[in-house]
Amino acid sequence: MRYPKRIGRLSVAAMLLATAVACGGGADEGATSAPKAPADIPELTKDPLTLSFIWFDWPPAHALEAFANAEYTKGRSNVTIKVNTVPNANWHDAMFTQFAAHKTDFDIPILDSQHIGEAVTNGNILDLTDFVKKNIDVNAYNPYLLAAYGQYPQAETGKRDENASLYGLPLLGDTWTMIYRKDLIGDNPPKTWDEMISVAQKCQTDNPGVSGLAFHQANGSDAAAVTYNTVNGIYGGNLWDPKARKINGIMNDAAGQEAMDVLVNKMKPLTAPGSGNWFIDEVNAAVAQGKACIAFNWIAASGGLLDPKQSTLGTTREEILGKLGFATLPSQKTDLVPLGGMGMHVSAYSSPEKQAEALNFMKWFEQADVQKKWAAAGGVPSRTDALQSPEFLNAGPFNKVYTDSVSRMRDMWNVPEYARLVDIENTNVNAALNGAKPPKQALDDIAKEQQAVLDAGSGKGGGGL
Amino acid sequence: MSDPVTLTTDHPVQAAATPPARGRSRRLSDRWLTVAFISPALLLLLAMSVFPLLWALYLSFTDYSATRGGSANFVWFENYTAILTSAQVHMRALTTLIYVVGAVALQIVLGFSIAYLISRRTNGRGLLTTLFLVPMMLSPVVVGLFWKFMLDAQFGVINSLLGSLGVGPVEWLTRQNTALISLIVVDTWQWTPFIMLIALAGLTAVPKYLYEAASIDRASEWFRFRTITLPLVWPLLLIAVLFRAIEAFRLFDLVYILTSGGPGVSTETLSFHVYKVAFLGFNTGTASAYGILMVLIVIVLAQLYMRYLNKLKED
Repeated sequence: MRYPKRIGRLSVAAMLLATAVACGGGADEGATSAPKAPADIPELTKDPLTLSFIWFDWPPAHALEAFANAEYTKGRSNVTIKVNTVPNANWHDAMFTQFAAHKTDFDIPILDSQHIGEAVTNGNILDLTDFVKKNIDVNAYNPYLLAAYGQYPQAETGKRDENASLYGLPLLGDTWTMIYRKDLIGDNPPKTWDEMISVAQKCQTDNPGVSGLAFHQANGSDAAAVTYNTVNGIYGGNLWDPKARKINGIMNDAAGQEAMDVLVNKMKPLTAPGSGNWFIDEVNAAVAQGKACIAFNWIAASGGLLDPKQSTLGTTREEILGKLGFATLPSQKTDLVPLGGMGMHVSAYSSPEKQAEALNFMKWFEQADVQKKWAAAGGVPSRTDALQSPEFLNAGPFNKVYTDSVSRMRDMWNVPEYARLVDIENTNVNAALNGAKPPKQALDDIAKEQQAVLDAGSGKGGGGL
Repeated sequence: MSDPVTLTTDHPVQAAATPPARGRSRRLSDRWLTVAFISPALLLLLAMSVFPLLWALYLSFTDYSATRGGSANFVWFENYTAILTSAQVHMRALTTLIYVVGAVALQIVLGFSIAYLISRRTNGRGLLTTLFLVPMMLSPVVVGLFWKFMLDAQFGVINSLLGSLGVGPVEWLTRQNTALISLIVVDTWQWTPFIMLIALAGLTAVPKYLYEAASIDRASEWFRFRTITLPLVWPLLLIAVLFRAIEAFRLFDLVYILTSGGPGVSTETLSFHVYKVAFLGFNTGTASAYGILMVLIVIVLAQLYMRYLNKLKED
């Protein structure tokens, strides 16, 4: 029969043609820089509107949705706030696959501070510089906090470049807190990292079944990488030289190697067997079940530790607080602590009405009284007045830790290659912590592989391997 | 002029009442009907399967990135060369090979053994078969999640069980030598029933008279198994091996849930690595080439395997 053959040939030809057309039109559509948001908020719609966020699934996400629907809608009754959540490990992919499609089902992506570079260079989020100048009191913030959640190119640690562009505003501040068992190691937390290790060692020896330390070691998200970076900072190391874009020789210098040695050979032996894949929830579970003398976790994720329903440490919040203490991280050669938290941004692919609403939400959210209410609702604000307000300091025993830590914060790189850099570091630190690689080799591999990512130019094959 | 011919029929009244069937429109010829019925499925296949494959093939020769945008510059075979010469890829290929061989071999032994035992039962065979099939019906993500809880070194039921027997805690998912074994065990738990089902079908199809003839000749149980059962069921088992090997080759979900490829990258399979290349760095061109190479490997190996099967059949 000739006909089916002809149909087959026609179909193949049509597919090839379609591919050729798509090749010509799709792949080379490029967005290269972030579009600008207007300085003034455009007229807002009176029609019903849902303003969608995207975040990962953790308590602050649910707190934000409840808080915004209760407070923001008082002034904008036609608006519903929806905070869509994804598992932490999918957070980056969930946002950037939609950015890649140039169509998002969210209007306000909550980016990790390190995601900014990738989103800005791809033109995925709006440039808010003019909007911030007109609508936000930038002097109300610690300059570094404002820079860390919005500035690109990245700010130098502790500073802000006032001439740089801003692409986001702070939503939730965060850093690590040291959680310690007052009933096991006493009321006074260790002041130095070395002292902390020896106290944990003694506590573990004195209390069979309780491990000396609990911290993030997993190879997903940024878990193990943040742990190493924290120890690296405390022992005087640096992650890179941003100006020269140099990692190899800096991260694995003497300070970096000392940090890796401390982490793998002094801290890891004090953790529970099988804790090599622990992240936020597992560390909290160990603390809540009384299985750790000293633990490190993000402040924004620590609220559940005081819930008697989730803890074996007491039947009331007060009883639990009698056993648990929260302190800033011990210092050693420096007093640096990791910068956590996230900023809110505006998707470049949202409709104009929703972009206008998003800008209005941001302006509303960054007001002094709203920031204090957000603090009282369980959030960690960024405005200095809110951080020092009784609403925030009395909302949780760990909140003062955050306020005291603000001036000590250091972030990772926020370059477009962040996702690959953090994966290289995560997998290698995780390998070292779990005995799959010698610590020195792991550190050298991190430095070498990360440098290769930074050095890789475009127009070459095999990128990403 | 002759009289009209009278039609004779068994049912003259009915024949007179039913009008003759109308001729089908020329447009609705058999050919066109065939095309009309096949087109929806064909178009769907072309749009959902063939087009993405051609598109990926095109991208595999470029340095295109889905997020960075910009033009897709042709780099020709650079992506392929980089993948084939990459030590990182070789390491993942070895991990995948160990996993595929380990999992499929274990599943064949267990699946066939269970099927053999079930086939010898006369009572409760249906119920047993149904029970054994349950794991296969679960989503791999669900399987991964509950095995992750069960294998947890601190809070898992497996270590709790071992502890009651006096065995110390085993770090199932965080040690290099146990993490891959754990993946193989979980995959075996889920997919042994598939092998069992196919083996059971083969065992049921073995003609009874062969066993009766062997009994008359006073053949031993082992002799009957070796010369009758195994040779007749073997071709079916080999087909099952093909299906399972292809499935295991593209393992992603269990790795993602159970180990995230860790410790380090020691349980990263090729599929998991492709995912990272595609969605962490959004190196779409490289990821496309990687995917195309994996498809080619599966096709070539499957073809060689099918030839072997055909040769076996001819022999």
